[in-house]
Amino acid sequence: MTATAHRDVRTPAPAHSDVKPHSPAQLVRLVAGREISTRIRDKGFLVSSAVLILLIIGLMVFQVVIGGGESTSRIGLVGGDQAVEQVLRQQGQALDTEVTVVQLADEDAARTAVAEEDVEAALLDPTGSRPELLVQTAGGSAEDLVQSALAALSVADQLSEAGVQLEPAPEVDVVALEGAEDDRSQATIVALLGVGLLYFLFILFGQFVAQGVVEEKSSRVVELLLATMRPWQLLAGKIIGLGALGLMQIAVIAVVGVAGALAFDVVDLPGQLIGTVLTVLAWFVIGYAFYAAVFAVAASLVSRQEDLGSVLTPTTILLVVGFVIALQAAQDPSSTMATVTSYVPGLSPMVMPVRQAAGEAAWWEVGLAVLLMVLAIAVIVRIGGRIYAGALLRTGGRLKLREALAAEKS
Amino acid sequence: MLEFDGLYKAYGSNQVLEGVSFTVAPGQMFGFCGSNGAGKTTTMRIAMGLARADAGKVRWSGRPVDEIVRRRIGYMPEERGLYPKMKVGEQLSYFARLHGLDARAAGRAAEHWAERLGLGERRGDRVEKLSLGNQQRVQLAAALVSEPDVLILDEPFSGLDPVGVDSLAEALLEQCRRGVPVVFSSHQLDLVERLCDAVGILARGRIVASGTVAELRSTTVGRQLRVVAPDASPGWASAVPGVRVVSEQRGDTVLELAPGTDDQQVLAAALATGRVTHFAWREPTLVELFRDAVTTPQEVAA
Repeated sequence: MTATAHRDVRTPAPAHSDVKPHSPAQLVRLVAGREISTRIRDKGFLVSSAVLILLIIGLMVFQVVIGGGESTSRIGLVGGDQAVEQVLRQQGQALDTEVTVVQLADEDAARTAVAEEDVEAALLDPTGSRPELLVQTAGGSAEDLVQSALAALSVADQLSEAGVQLEPAPEVDVVALEGAEDDRSQATIVALLGVGLLYFLFILFGQFVAQGVVEEKSSRVVELLLATMRPWQLLAGKIIGLGALGLMQIAVIAVVGVAGALAFDVVDLPGQLIGTVLTVLAWFVIGYAFYAAVFAVAASLVSRQEDLGSVLTPTTILLVVGFVIALQAAQDPSSTMATVTSYVPGLSPMVMPVRQAAGEAAWWEVGLAVLLMVLAIAVIVRIGGRIYAGALLRTGGRLKLREALAAEKS
Repeated sequence: MLEFDGLYKAYGSNQVLEGVSFTVAPGQMFGFCGSNGAGKTTTMRIAMGLARADAGKVRWSGRPVDEIVRRRIGYMPEERGLYPKMKVGEQLSYFARLHGLDARAAGRAAEHWAERLGLGERRGDRVEKLSLGNQQRVQLAAALVSEPDVLILDEPFSGLDPVGVDSLAEALLEQCRRGVPVVFSSHQLDLVERLCDAVGILARGRIVASGTVAELRSTTVGRQLRVVAPDASPGWASAVPGVRVVSEQRGDTVLELAPGTDDQQVLAAALATGRVTHFAWREPTLVELFRDAVTTPQEVAA
């Protein structure tokens, strides 16, 4: 042992000119930076991100395969003139089908084409008295199409033979009393998908926040942290860091989703799609702040990961309720339940986007819901911050809210 | 000077601290002793702002210890605390940054302290993969990595093997040489005796004894004299005035002399019985001083 109890040299405490005390913002940034750099390497996070993106892409591929867009139809034609081709195409337009007419040499060629599924159906002798339609199996959409085309052709022929000159039918001027129903329903579906995503991400990132809080408490590293910063700085850094990561994740999903939807031509009105996606993103920020704060405060009451479930359950139930109401609201956006719950803090991030997409919410309604939510977040951060501060240094069993408030650190 | 000035703290009806006061000079190593539950940890936590004193202040250089001062204090809590899943090097550099170092300086400091405490090769490992002893070193490195002006360490030696104790002791002495006041609590009193310039014994919510070990010895009442006189008959010493026999075993007696009693008179009495093979004042060990201080109801002035 080289140590001795007595030393003669007494030097004054060294000066540290290179060390400047941090501002609160710098500390919050440091904590947030640590959260991001730790979580971004976390397997759970990476896997969930990949799964989400694959899910979105899969959904669009499914949409394309199932034929959400325009259908096409190839009809073979043996004999017949330009007029027949034109009528077939016109009739196709009326039925929302793009018709391609393929001229075939004779019946044999027609049979082969149908058998090889080169064409959906082949029409023989359209202008004769007994036109024939060859199909693989009876009952396809091509039958109706061809039948009505020939009917139109025959009516026109008979009329012109009778010397009737047809005036073109007047164009109907459409006056919509309500917004276009079809367009809104697509936006509602996008909003619902977005809300499903919000629900998932609130739970995922809420869990991340909660686990982080308990990890710090159970490993007691929180004592070292609180020796250098105040509880609210730790809380803010944690929520902001993970929130930035969550926002990044949902933004990536949004970009992939929108780009995919445009590329695959799944939606009719890209403007509305993008508007809805931006709304969902904005609601993510507000909703996340709310749920992350609640989860963090709840988690601070326990000291072991095993006990997390019991304190998080009430909040998780609120999330489930919000999601179920959002599903309902998509069916009936003007229902009383949807209207009322779209103002309730905690539920509004999931119900309001659906109402907005359905065109049922006026701007002041959205503003009110946002305001209520911001007020709720302010209250939670204020009271929750005190609970968090009081509970952090108390380890052992589960703390009661009142105990935590009483134990608040100076 | 690091001053603890009249700290009071009660948890409910349990009055833990009742006016704890002591000072630690720059470059001084202060051993903080006391029985379990005496309030050592509470005192240190108050200094670190982790508990609120009901009354009293902690000052550094005459200035109350606040958050800014605290960032210049290296702290090692009794309950060890590190991020289990974070790598050693990243963890140290994170703590350095929390204490105010910029990114580059923090990286350098983390590297230096990991190397210095024999963790150089483990820098890339997660803390949870290290042995307990190595985790302890990381904990110490976390306290030292910001080159603090003050060190407050709660039970830093517990759980270390003798080699670990030596390297920790060496690191602490080096900090003292830099002029840093070091306060540490420990139950290993032999270690405290060996390392510390000053000792404070906490009992019943107060410092019942403090000062250098030599000072504590000199102020102990009833110093003891050990006399070995193999041929003496039992009770030989009780006849000498002012002498109380503490223990007597086959000629090996321990005596306590009342103030003013002449030890030479005792020696004469001993020689009268025959051979005297041992005659010396016993230097009480810190353990004895501690036992004495903790059990005597009245305060031992220092």
